[in-house]
Amino acid sequence: MKNKRFYWLLSLVLMLSLFLAACNSGDDTDAQTDAEGDTTEDTSSEEGTETEEESDTGEPKQGGTLTYAIDAEPEGILNVHYYGTATDFEILQFMVDPLFTYDENLAPEPHLADWETEDNKTYTFKFEEGVKWHNGDELTVNDWVFALETLADPDYEGPRYSNVQTIEGAEAYNKGEADSISGIEVINDYEVKVTFDKARVNNLINVWSYPMNENRWKDVPVSEMLGHEFTRTTPIGTGPFKMGKVVPGETYEFIANEDYFKGAPNLDKIIVKVIDNKAVSGALQNGEVDMVPVHPTLGEEVEKMEDVELVTYPGLSYYYVGFKLGVFDNEKKEIVEEKEKYQDKTLRKAMYHAINRQEWIDAFFSGYGSPVDAPVPSNHWIAADDSDLQQYEYDPEKAKSLLDEAGYKDTNGDGFREDPNGDEFVVNFSHYASTNPTFEARAKALTQYWNDIGLQTTLEMIEGSLYYDKIEKDSDDIEVFYGGWSTGTDPDPTALWSSDALWNYTRWNNEKSDELLEKALDVEVVGTDKEKRQEIYTEWQQLANEELPMLYIAELQELQGINKRVGGVEYDVSGSNLPNEWYIKE
Amino acid sequence: MLKYSLRRILGMIPMLFLISVVVFFLALAMPGDSLTGEIDPNNTDPEYIEQMREKLGYNDPIYVQYGRWISNFAQGDFGTSTKYKIPVADLIAQRLPNTLFLGVTSLIITYIFAFVMGMYAGRKPYTKLDNFIGGFNYLMLAIPIYIAGVFAIYFFSFHLGWFPFSGSVDIATNEGTLDWWLSRIYHVILPALVLGAMGTAAYTQFLRNDIIDNSQKDYVRTARAKGTPESRIYNHHILRNSVIPLITFLGFDIVTLVNGALITETIFTYPGLGQLFLSSMTTNDYPTLMTLALMFSFLVLIGNLIADLLYGVVDPRIRLD
Repeated sequence: MKNKRFYWLLSLVLMLSLFLAACNSGDDTDAQTDAEGDTTEDTSSEEGTETEEESDTGEPKQGGTLTYAIDAEPEGILNVHYYGTATDFEILQFMVDPLFTYDENLAPEPHLADWETEDNKTYTFKFEEGVKWHNGDELTVNDWVFALETLADPDYEGPRYSNVQTIEGAEAYNKGEADSISGIEVINDYEVKVTFDKARVNNLINVWSYPMNENRWKDVPVSEMLGHEFTRTTPIGTGPFKMGKVVPGETYEFIANEDYFKGAPNLDKIIVKVIDNKAVSGALQNGEVDMVPVHPTLGEEVEKMEDVELVTYPGLSYYYVGFKLGVFDNEKKEIVEEKEKYQDKTLRKAMYHAINRQEWIDAFFSGYGSPVDAPVPSNHWIAADDSDLQQYEYDPEKAKSLLDEAGYKDTNGDGFREDPNGDEFVVNFSHYASTNPTFEARAKALTQYWNDIGLQTTLEMIEGSLYYDKIEKDSDDIEVFYGGWSTGTDPDPTALWSSDALWNYTRWNNEKSDELLEKALDVEVVGTDKEKRQEIYTEWQQLANEELPMLYIAELQELQGINKRVGGVEYDVSGSNLPNEWYIKE
Repeated sequence: MLKYSLRRILGMIPMLFLISVVVFFLALAMPGDSLTGEIDPNNTDPEYIEQMREKLGYNDPIYVQYGRWISNFAQGDFGTSTKYKIPVADLIAQRLPNTLFLGVTSLIITYIFAFVMGMYAGRKPYTKLDNFIGGFNYLMLAIPIYIAGVFAIYFFSFHLGWFPFSGSVDIATNEGTLDWWLSRIYHVILPALVLGAMGTAAYTQFLRNDIIDNSQKDYVRTARAKGTPESRIYNHHILRNSVIPLITFLGFDIVTLVNGALITETIFTYPGLGQLFLSSMTTNDYPTLMTLALMFSFLVLIGNLIADLLYGVVDPRIRLD
């Protein structure tokens, strides 16, 4: 109770501070918005031309210290094999390198290693020669093998076992039945052959792609790795920056790695600072931090700052309104029961047409997002073309006629529709509560849309962790719920959509969907043909778009506030470019 | 007094036991568990979460979990933080210095403010400035600390640029050097000021009323009749008597020192025990949450005991046995 009250007050402060900050930028910026209005949409291209100009004048400037802020507290697990929150990775990204990275279409491209495969089952990896760890050791395939064995070790305590599970013999190793993973065959220091348990199209993307310095770690038992100082305060990698001093939970210092295999960084240092999310805009404005991720609600304010550029790039998450269509049995891994209330597809379609998604995104995410029509963010390479999907545009009249057609009519004259049997019909909508004051407002807005077409809607705000607990357990008081998913670089939606998946929260049970999802991963069907795979996924998206187990609301953009004195930073859907290319202009 | 202290300390044991039961069951009654927040299809999978639940014993009956926890606790094993994945004892040791530093600084600030204001107000009661001091104190008492924190950051850090708005030290300095200490002081001033200035009301008004009270007493009249200068009467005779009751606040100050300032530390991203306590609550980090809760309860009990003992010391009329 006390906790809840505290949250309320905190959100009030948040709001107050927003007002304060808004007042600060005051009158003079109002005029500016008009002038800037035309150019703000293409910040990314602006960014592009700027860097070109710089390269005209010669080499980017050397030296300088960049302050990078994160607005959530890290857990301090500075080991890429163990970390759990994205915040920790934001720190790690400066010092670790994967075997392969992703290009702007999210296709893997070689980084520390190149690979070859003929059958999608056996892969030969060729490592870059002469890459040095921060402590001077040379990187060899043994470091990667060591990482894979650590993840498969019975004593391993991190969440990454699933990234090695698909290698042949990993399960035996995990159970302690084998001394090594039989699917890994080291050819020489720079070549290794990895055999997976079966051919899959996503074997490569799924496999763990970070090496772990064997020389340094070999004497540390796996069970002690998580708490070891190599994980906590003195981690190393092969990346563009080395870890300097660490003040846990507060500041992390990175020093340029002059031997970086992709070229020495331009910057001398990067300081990663943890700041409170209420201080983000103030710190940016004052130039106390150079780069910081910005929440969409602050976007407009940051855009108005003179010395700061707001860089937007497409994100990989989508928000939805789901319908509980069944009950899942986690023991049997199947959907055991059907829930009747929202089985009528016409009802779901009517509710979709009732929502003015663009207006809603503009109001609650300051326009930093766009409506989606299927559960795949539009920048993913498997995303279906708009022309292949039905667009459920805002059309309350159509929504009303759909409801009439389906038999949802107001029979007792109370202004709200009853269900086809003439019984009272109430849409019970749930949304998670948090300290963010816009959450309740945005949920209210959705209920209003449905009220407007005559569907009586109630809203319940449920505390965050309880909310997902209830959804996962198919609790009876969850009927229509708000949620969001972020998708990874691997486009496969099976974990969230197949009927035997715990995280298929709507409990959508559709044979065709399961079949398509399976087919898209089947080497026999798709082989290495990307287009074929995309075709199947398009078909699947059309199905999801027609059946509407959930109403796809929006995909958001990622926002990064960057001080104008920083150059050489580029973002695309896979994230930023390598930080060794960043520099300070002055 | 020794007998009394022993009796009190023995009495704490059942009390702490009851607190542990309540804290434990309240913590477990919170919805979800420490793994609820980890649902992220990119990072993990349901099987791993299920495995961890089993491993951490969340599937056992509650009394089994309690038994396991309390017996470990009694043996000095506070468990491993589910969030930071290191022993809670290490975690607390890491953050305690920060909290103590902030606590001591803010207490010093409170004392300075309270003495200056209290002495003036007591000496010249019912004047304009006295009323102003009273009003100011109660206003500070009324303003919630998180509002004050946000405003302080806004004015002193962003607007005036006098103080840093986050952290406890500048990373560019080397630990133990003079620069490092100066940087620590520089970082602690603003949060300490917010904490310290807000807590002056009790001290100031206590001191003020006591001074007014004393100034009517016979010994003061005698001193005046003797022709002792007014300043000497106040600063010497009265103050000495008026400070004595304040000493009893010391007991409670111990608690303030250690339990940190939940909200202030969070707003200033100052990594201390308060921030840790708050984050352990939001992430259902049971081992950390319960260790801290028990630690704070224990300190409250000790603080009360010290306060009671000090009453006896400064005022012989109160007999403890």
